Amino acid sequence: MEARPAVSVQSVVASQLSNCGASLSSSLPMYPTSLGEKYPKFPDLQQASTEKELKQYPGTVVSSLPSSSGAVGLMFSSSSGFSADLHFSSVPPQEKHSGPAPFNSQSTNSETSIQLPHSGVLQSTASSQYLIENNEPWCIDPLPNFLDPFPVQNSQVACSNKQSDWQEWADLVINDEDALASNWNDIMADTSIADSEPKEEKQPLNFPMQQVQASQQIPAVSVETSVIAPSSSAASGAATKQRMRWTPELHEAFVEAVNKLGGSERATPKGVLKLMKVEGLTIYHVKSHLQKYRTARYKPEASDGGSSEQKQSSIDDLSSLDLKTGIEITEALRLQMEVQKRLHEQLEIQRNLQLRIEEQGRYLQQMFEKQCKSMPGVDLAKGSSSTADDAFAQLSDGVQNSSGKNDPGVSQIDTAKEVDEKRKGREREVPGDPETNITSTSDSPPSKRSKLDE
Amino acid sequence: MKFGKRLKQQIEETLPGWGDKFLSYKDLKKLVKLISSCAPPMMSGSLEYGKAEAEFVYLLNNEIDKFNAFFMEQEEDFIIRHKELQQRIGRVIDTWGPNGSQPSETDYKEELAKIRKDIVDFHGEMVLLINYSNINYTGLAKILKKYDKRTGGLLRSPYIQKVLQQPFFTTDLISKLVKECESTIDSVFPPPCDEERTLVLGSANIGVAGEGIFRNTVAALLTMQEIRKGSSTYGRFSLPPLNLPETDVIQSNSLQINSPIAIP
Repeated sequence: MEARPAVSVQSVVASQLSNCGASLSSSLPMYPTSLGEKYPKFPDLQQASTEKELKQYPGTVVSSLPSSSGAVGLMFSSSSGFSADLHFSSVPPQEKHSGPAPFNSQSTNSETSIQLPHSGVLQSTASSQYLIENNEPWCIDPLPNFLDPFPVQNSQVACSNKQSDWQEWADLVINDEDALASNWNDIMADTSIADSEPKEEKQPLNFPMQQVQASQQIPAVSVETSVIAPSSSAASGAATKQRMRWTPELHEAFVEAVNKLGGSERATPKGVLKLMKVEGLTIYHVKSHLQKYRTARYKPEASDGGSSEQKQSSIDDLSSLDLKTGIEITEALRLQMEVQKRLHEQLEIQRNLQLRIEEQGRYLQQMFEKQCKSMPGVDLAKGSSSTADDAFAQLSDGVQNSSGKNDPGVSQIDTAKEVDEKRKGREREVPGDPETNITSTSDSPPSKRSKLDE
Repeated sequence: MKFGKRLKQQIEETLPGWGDKFLSYKDLKKLVKLISSCAPPMMSGSLEYGKAEAEFVYLLNNEIDKFNAFFMEQEEDFIIRHKELQQRIGRVIDTWGPNGSQPSETDYKEELAKIRKDIVDFHGEMVLLINYSNINYTGLAKILKKYDKRTGGLLRSPYIQKVLQQPFFTTDLISKLVKECESTIDSVFPPPCDEERTLVLGSANIGVAGEGIFRNTVAALLTMQEIRKGSSTYGRFSLPPLNLPETDVIQSNSLQINSPIAIP
């Protein structure tokens, strides 16, 4: 059973490769073993969702796997393999920066379906170093897309640029496992440019400073995501535009290193890089950061603010300020601060609301799916909508009522109970798109709103 | 088109250099229209539909890449400037402050005034970046909702989950910097007194400080309120309406920057 998907994948890969004329024959022999050991659970998902989803959404990977809650998680979290559904739910609230993978897969899936060689190659050597569950979900992403012929046109173009890169990766992968982490970064540096998929590289750089416990996952994540990224970039070469997410702690280390080397003018990127000893940090990161640092320091003390226009207005302000008393200026600044603080406060509230709304939606969706599974023959998407509507109405009402107090406290338990009761008492309808089916709920919000307006 | 209009306004008034970093809402809307007009004969299950969706997703991904790149670049700048400001304050205090190496009240006051202005503007810029993040998220959520509605797809829910994880939406660090900035500001500003307030009420030029940023902030607040007013498509994923008590104040201020403000 495990051999089947491996074989089918391999044959598809082979055909794709022959389309492009790329030669990864040296890597191909690795497939049977790698895929074989990587797909203990794969067939389950494959059977359940791929066939159905391929017909509907051949081009999109994301929407093709909503049926399994764990599967959605696999899109963006390395830790949410099939064997680790729990990880999935724990990632979003903590907001770890450990899951930007999906967008790379999305964009590149539509562009080229030749990612599997990378992922396959990656897995065979990565498996010993990284958690297996990291690799499993990885495989799922590109596979459904394989049977979709339409991206061939794009892949042809992308292909010709990628051959040398693949060879490079393949060689690296075969040779040195220990140096894998650092090599991957070099590869990423070499290839991911024009497309500038910035997300993946930042994790290893964050984590050394922050969360150690996820250290084993991080290289996997960065490696995972980086593999797709290069395949979609058009140019190769030494320059890199991979983006790194700096943190204050990292910046502190940077400043320390710079000071040790005699100041921002004297310090060289290489020296700073060596002193900092941060895993995953490349010289390009340091270079650009150093440049920013120098600019920030040696801008005349006038204004910290952005562009010349901004500066101009602030210089004008300064001269006109001379005409007013210091107290007036201070008070004007205070007013500005008040407004800014208010905006910030509202933004935070809004963001929390948005997070919670989506979280609730997801939670309820999962619950319905679990319930629906025990009732075969019911269309998941449609069947859950009616009761979901009521539950969500409760949610938005609750949110509305509390928004006046600026306290977005919604009780999950109450909503869940509500949902349970309704589910038992209600027969299943088959209405249209759940999103549009709000006629029943739209009555309640306006009435609540008028209460608030009073 | 209400959101589209609001977004356009925000873009027009935004800080220089930020204009083209926002969501291309209009273009995406056009694409959704295009897809939905071709789609009816060949709904889910057809190859063309999958193609259309893939293209849509591809564009969305590009938008998100754009947001991420811009956001992280700004974030990096802010981190650097934040530290520099703190050092600068330290230097000023150490040099011209009462216990400094060359205590000089005039220099001290002058420098402090400059610092105050800079730090308030800096604070404002950071908040505007968070606003940028939020408005783009809102736009994405809206366009996804439109897509699902028009084409009967199921793209919104899973896709938005991924968006929530993106760097441009995880604004915790910037928020933290903003809070730190606020406490720094408190230490640099003298405690408020009534005399100041009455003076300001009578003055003719309130909006003189950081006009660009100030105006942007006001605009952002108003926009937020407008966007969240009830609409015909209000649903379970919509945010509740926003009621800002100082709307009158803010509104009058935004229309006439130079008129006196009634501080409640």
